[in-house]
Amino acid sequence: MLHLQPNNLLIQKTLAEASEALQAGAPLTFDRIISDFDYTNFHVSNTNENRTQLFLSVRTKAWQSILECDGGAQGVLPYLAAKYTRLPGVTVATPCEAGFDYTLAIDLEQLAPETVQQLSLLKTNIMSFPFHLAFQEFVTLSAANPTTTTVQVGKFNEETGNVSSYDVSKTLYTIQYRDNENMFIKPSNDRITVIFETFFQDETDKVFGKVFLQEFVDARKRNRDIQSAPQVLFSTEPPLELQGHLPQGNEIADEASKRFITFVLFPRHFANDELQFKTVAQLTLFRNYFHYHIKCSKAYMHSRMRYRVDTFVKVLNRAKVDEDEDEAKETKRTITGRKMVY
Amino acid sequence: MSQSLRPYLTAVRYSLEAALTLTNFPSQEVERHNRPEIEVPNTSAELLLQPMHIARSETEQVLIEPSVNSVRVSLMVKQADEIEQILVHKFTMFLEQRAEAFYILRRVPVKGYSISFLITNKHTESMKTAKLVDFIIEFMEEVDKEISEMKLFLNARARFVANEYLGEFVY
Repeated sequence: MLHLQPNNLLIQKTLAEASEALQAGAPLTFDRIISDFDYTNFHVSNTNENRTQLFLSVRTKAWQSILECDGGAQGVLPYLAAKYTRLPGVTVATPCEAGFDYTLAIDLEQLAPETVQQLSLLKTNIMSFPFHLAFQEFVTLSAANPTTTTVQVGKFNEETGNVSSYDVSKTLYTIQYRDNENMFIKPSNDRITVIFETFFQDETDKVFGKVFLQEFVDARKRNRDIQSAPQVLFSTEPPLELQGHLPQGNEIADEASKRFITFVLFPRHFANDELQFKTVAQLTLFRNYFHYHIKCSKAYMHSRMRYRVDTFVKVLNRAKVDEDEDEAKETKRTITGRKMVY
Repeated sequence: MSQSLRPYLTAVRYSLEAALTLTNFPSQEVERHNRPEIEVPNTSAELLLQPMHIARSETEQVLIEPSVNSVRVSLMVKQADEIEQILVHKFTMFLEQRAEAFYILRRVPVKGYSISFLITNKHTESMKTAKLVDFIIEFMEEVDKEISEMKLFLNARARFVANEYLGEFVY
């Protein structure tokens, strides 16, 4: 399992199970909590009276910041509604279930495989809203100020606005998807910058993470096949884009262990809807993918050390004088197993 | 084996062979006690022999502290960077947690060293001395190899993972 999938397999299975049971004529009652990455929880439930209608609720840490990321317009609600209500049998339930952020009502009789697929992508779709805004803003910015041939990396002029050839939007979309870790999206006229803020709780993770991050930075330089992948930068200090934007008040004690990873997306990465979706799905899973592989390496080393310890024990056992075996043959024992002593 | 490693290991081997001449020696101070003299605060200097310190480099050293009935061998394993530091630390911790299986392993290393062994006259009586020396020498060789292999693995995995992730963006 090298890649993490953007969809939630458990939701898929639960929905498939529900629709199968309905078709078999014995609809089930559901009350399931399904977990996903980054403290996201789904709740699949229905009532005993109406078993053909299923509710899918989601609660995610990122919800609050996504709701407010367009200046409090709560554009994410119509965005998600547009995505889901076009599917047959799916409606938005208002108000949403208590304790959850968003609820969809699904009519199981009209459930299509495509709908199941889309429903299992609910978390990715929620996270994609700020990206969607950024893509839109990119279009307006690039229309107002077409890209010049000179590219000035990492330099921008906030006061002069669109006078500079490298025009950057003043908005910075922030997704607070974990307690102390944020994702920032900054559109400009020729690129979109996505910055991940991450920190490592564990000293070992920190060192392993450093190795992994360095490889992310170097991979593009080393391998010609992936030249067209986004540029990755890595720093321990907040990048220039974030200056004055870093949310205050959630400072963690160990400021030094924070890391910033910047992905620079070029227009080719979000040229059409399909690419946009792929890019967003990939980026929202970046932290999970990266931490997952750190854990995997640790697990591998652990099993490797176990094996090595066993071989060392074998070597040491060679040194032992096998007295017991010789003794066993020679000494006489009583019927109860005691040794005879002369 | 690299050329500079061989003389180092040979020196350790001969020193260990010389040091591992142990005898049963009941405590002079506490009646009916028989304890490893190297480990206890000792007022009688005649029980402790001259410690031997063999160094290949600043980061690779062996300290052999012999006494009349016990020898303490402490190894310093090479730690070139912070990855190796972590790997060595993890590995030695792992071994020390399984010290029962190793008989001669000390649960806590001597200060400044990565790992320590304590060989008493009980061990030399129940095990072949030459094989014990072989074990320590093999251990020294293998630990270095293991650490560098794990480090290589980590880098290889990181590279592969990064390539695969970014490869998804290539359309």
